Amino acid sequence: MKRIIIADDSTTARMFIKRCLQIIGLGDVEIIEAEHGKEALTAAKAQEVDLLLTDLNMPVMDGETLIKWVKASPKLGDLPVVVITSAGNPAKEAQLLELGAHRVLNKPVSPPMMMDALADFLDD
Amino acid sequence: MIEHKPLYQAMITAVSQTLENMVFMEVMEHFDRTYEIPAEELVWTSLLINDPVQGEIRLAMSNNLLKKLTGNVFGIDPEDITQPQMDDILNELLNTIVGLFLTNLLADNQEYKMGLPELGEEPLPEVDADTIVWKLMTSDEDPLQIYASGASIVALNDNNNN
Repeated sequence: MKRIIIADDSTTARMFIKRCLQIIGLGDVEIIEAEHGKEALTAAKAQEVDLLLTDLNMPVMDGETLIKWVKASPKLGDLPVVVITSAGNPAKEAQLLELGAHRVLNKPVSPPMMMDALADFLDD
Repeated sequence: MIEHKPLYQAMITAVSQTLENMVFMEVMEHFDRTYEIPAEELVWTSLLINDPVQGEIRLAMSNNLLKKLTGNVFGIDPEDITQPQMDDILNELLNTIVGLFLTNLLADNQEYKMGLPELGEEPLPEVDADTIVWKLMTSDEDPLQIYASGASIVALNDNNNN
């Protein structure tokens, strides 16, 4: 079973993302919810994870810092990271892609957006 | 000089996009521009914009509307709704609205920085000369209001719609 981490400090946002995943056919993956980047990083180090979906603005550790930690880790460096944020624009997106994010989606996220962003992941 | 698109419409579009996508409700301008949500029914949250302009955006609505939105989103009966769920929805709505507002307002290459939403505990601050107010309502005629405060934000309002 595939395992996905959703990092967002909002319960509502995590629920929307889970709902999108179900709608696009990823209802049977194991979801690990994290309220901030540090919690997500700890979860990713503790087990095999296939995908990380993260917000940017979070307390404790923000999404940008999380991506830097993930990409600097020998174990997690290849983990695909998709950013789902309300603080995204083309300039920010370029910066996040440079850091190693796979895709950047703007909130409110919809099933078609998620489907497009996770096409590679769904193909596996 | 900040390159930008029309501010008033940028907010209307952001609120419409957010409520249609997140809570499946249409939003329009309130037919009564003098209407105020009664203070005893009002709940609100605010978020700071730190860059490239400095200001604060507040989202206010009635507790009844917030309960209705929370029920829609979580798909639960009104009696099962909890205060943390309502608080989280209110904050996430504002977070998404402000992100879309800044995306709609600013030029594509303009970065922006915003803070985290914080629930208002006190009465809503008075509207002053450096505040723009959007009086809106849902298709069920439930009112909601948005306030943008800060001289550098208000300076971007070319049309003086408020």
